Amino acid sequence: MQSQAEAVERLINHTISLCKVCKNAIPAQVVALPNNEVWMRKACGAHGTQDVRLSNNVEWYEQTRAIQPKRVPPKVVQKAVEHGCPFDCGPCESHTQKVRLPVVTITSACNLDCPICYVHNKNDNAFHMGVEDFKKILGHLQSDHGGELDIVNFTGGEPTVHPHFLDFLALAKEAGIHRVTICSNGIRLAKDESLVQRIAELGGRVALSFDTFEKDADYQLQGANLLAIKMRCLELLEKHNVDTTLIPVMTRGVNDHEIGKIIDLALGMRNIRHLEIHTITFTGQSGVTFSRSGRISMYEVLQQIEQTTNGLLRPDDFVPSPCAHPLCYQIAYLLVDPDGGRPIPFSRFLPREAIYDSLSDRLYLEPTPKLENAMREAIDRLWVDGGEDAERTLRLLKQLLLQMFPVDGTVSREAALQAGEQAVKAIYVHSHMDEETFDTERAVECCDSNCYSDGTTIPVCNYNVLYREKEEHFNLQPVAWNARKGGQKDFPIPVVSR
Amino acid sequence: MTNQKIQRLEGKRCLVTGGSRGLGFAICKAFVQAGAKIAFTFSRNKEDAEEARARLSEMGAEPIVIQGSVADSSHVEKTVAELVTKWGGLDVLVNNAGITHMLPIALLEEADWDAVMDVNVKGAYLFSRAALKPMIRARSGNILSIGSFASERIVEAPVHYAASKSALRGFTEALAREVGRYNVKVNVLSPGLLDAGFSQSLPQHRLNEYLTQSSMGRLGTVEEIADMAAFLVSDDNSFMTGAKVVADGGL
Repeated sequence: MQSQAEAVERLINHTISLCKVCKNAIPAQVVALPNNEVWMRKACGAHGTQDVRLSNNVEWYEQTRAIQPKRVPPKVVQKAVEHGCPFDCGPCESHTQKVRLPVVTITSACNLDCPICYVHNKNDNAFHMGVEDFKKILGHLQSDHGGELDIVNFTGGEPTVHPHFLDFLALAKEAGIHRVTICSNGIRLAKDESLVQRIAELGGRVALSFDTFEKDADYQLQGANLLAIKMRCLELLEKHNVDTTLIPVMTRGVNDHEIGKIIDLALGMRNIRHLEIHTITFTGQSGVTFSRSGRISMYEVLQQIEQTTNGLLRPDDFVPSPCAHPLCYQIAYLLVDPDGGRPIPFSRFLPREAIYDSLSDRLYLEPTPKLENAMREAIDRLWVDGGEDAERTLRLLKQLLLQMFPVDGTVSREAALQAGEQAVKAIYVHSHMDEETFDTERAVECCDSNCYSDGTTIPVCNYNVLYREKEEHFNLQPVAWNARKGGQKDFPIPVVSR
Repeated sequence: MTNQKIQRLEGKRCLVTGGSRGLGFAICKAFVQAGAKIAFTFSRNKEDAEEARARLSEMGAEPIVIQGSVADSSHVEKTVAELVTKWGGLDVLVNNAGITHMLPIALLEEADWDAVMDVNVKGAYLFSRAALKPMIRARSGNILSIGSFASERIVEAPVHYAASKSALRGFTEALAREVGRYNVKVNVLSPGLLDAGFSQSLPQHRLNEYLTQSSMGRLGTVEEIADMAAFLVSDDNSFMTGAKVVADGGL
C-alpha cells in the first residue's frame, strides 16, 4: 500500500505552455509522479484540463533540466517583447540563443504524404523559394554570424523537388558554409543517380529520413513501403561518398524496438556521419492523423538505445547540447574501430563535462582547441591509469591521428577533417515540441530556427506549432491568429503581422 | 635575380635527399635555376618523383633520381658512388629527408621513435659520411641539413621530431669542426612553418597560434627557404660553417 507521501505529486516547475485546441498560452505545471514519471498539467478556460507525459524518469529529467546552457543571445533582435513567448518570434529580445542550425524551408511541395510528418505540405500551387530570397537569407546569416556560420539545412516539403535546390547548395558552399544539409525522403535521389553525383560534387550532405525496416511500420509511419527506395538511396549515397545523416522518428510501439538495428546500419556505412533520432511530435500531419499512443519521451529513447544495442550506448553516454535547452538535444559520439570491434563511446574515455564543453561553440564536434585539449588529457589519463578498454582506445586514437597527419606525406586540412569525421559517428536524440508538450522555458533557448529573407528567424518548434500554419506559402487555407493569453496577463492580441 | 642564381651554383654537383616534393623539390628547383647539376632521392612515391623529374627536365636539367631509404646504408653508399661515377665528384649534399608522427608521447611507441631517428638523424649521418669521401678528396664541399623550429621551445612539437632536429644541430656543429680543415662547410637551416608540408593539414587554430607568434605574421614559402639554401651551399658563403641559420619570420 502506498504511503500518503508517495502518492502525492511533487511540483518540479511552473512554465507557460499552449492549449492543444486553441493554442492560447496557458500556465502549466510540470510535476513528478510517485511512479517516477514527469507530467505537464495545464488548463485552458475554454478547453479544459490537459495532461501530457514528458518523461518516465524524474531523476534524469530534473538532473538534465538543471544544466544551464551557455547564454549566447542573437546579435540581431527583430522583435520587442509584446505578447510573450512564443508570439513575438523574430527572434525577440527575450530569446537566449543565437541560431546554430539555420533551417531554410525552400519548398512546400512533397512527393510523399507521411502520417508522421510534423508539417503540412502543399502541392497545389506549390511554393518554391526564389534564388534571390535565398541569397538574402544567406546574406543575413553571414552578417549576423560573421565567419562562424558553418551549417545550413534545407527542408520543405521535400527539398529535392525544388527545381533549383542544387543552385542553392552551390551558393551556400560558395559562401563558405562547411555543412550544407538537404533533408530528404530519398525518393528522387534513389531514382536519379546523377543527382546524387551532383550533390557529391558540390560537397552537399544528405539527411535521409529512415524510420524502419518493417513493412507494417513503414506503412504506418510513411504511408508507403519505402524500404527498398531508402536502401537504394543509401547505396548511391555510399557509392558517391556523400556525407549522410539518418533521421529516424521514434514512435512508441511502432518502431522504437528497431533503433538498435538502425544504429547498426549507420555504424556499418562509412559515409554515414550522424544519426539524428527524433521523438515523434504531433504537429502538422502527425498532429491530425497519428495516435498519441506513439508519443515517446527522450529518456525512453535512450533506454531503447541501450537495450537494442546490447549496451553499446547507455543513457549516461549522452550529454545535452550546451547550445540549446538540455531537454531538447542529447548527444553521444562514438569512436569507430576500423578492424570491426565495437565502437567506443567518447564518454568512456572523456569526462562528460569535457564533451559538453567541447560542444559549446557548435552543434557538432569540430577540431577546436577545447576538443584537442580534452583529447590530449584523455590520452594521457588512459595511458597512465588504464581503465575500461584503454589499450584498444589508445590504439584507435593513434590510428586516427596517423590518418589525419600521415607520416610520409601531407593531406589538406579538409582531408584531415574528413578523416577525423570518418573515424567517429555521432548519435543525436532530438525532441521537438508540439502544442501539448510546449514549454516556453525550452522555446526561449532554442538554437534551430527557420530563416526568412527579411532576416526573421523563428525557432523550429514555434514555427511548426504556430507560425507555419499561418503562412499562405504552405497552406491552402492559412489559419488566422486569434486572441490569446500570454504569460499570466489577459490581453487581446490582434493578428500578428510578420 | 635569375642570373645571380645561375652564377651562384654554376656547375656544382648537388644531391638533395627527399627531393620529390615540398621543400626538397623547391630546393632542387632553386639549385637548377642557379646552374647546378641535380640529383635527388625519394623513398616511396614514384609518381611524385617522376613529376619532379619531368619538371626539372623542363627547366633544362638532367636530374638523377634514385629511390631508397636514407636510413639504408647500402642505398646511401650506392647513391653516392653512382653520382661520383657519373659526375666525377660531389660538391653539395642537402640532408632534407625527414618524417614525423603527430603523436603525443603517450602514443609514441619505440618503433615510432626509431623510425624518426632513423630517417631524420641516422639518414643525415649516413649520407654525410658517404658524401665526405669525395668532398675531402676534393678539399671542398658543402653539407646542409634541414632543421626545424620544432627543436626550439617555441611551439609544441612531437618529442621525437624535436629531438631529431635538435640532434642535427649538435651533429652539424661537431662535424663542421671536424671537417673545416678540408674546406667542407657544414650548416643547418631551420625554417619556420611553411606554406607546404605539415602546415597544410594543421587545424586552423594551430596555424593561427603560430602566426600570432610570428613577427612577420605569415607562413614562409618553400621558395624563400630554397633560395636561402642555395646561398648557404654556394661559394658566396665563404666563411659560415657550424651555423644554425634560422628563417622563421621572426618567432
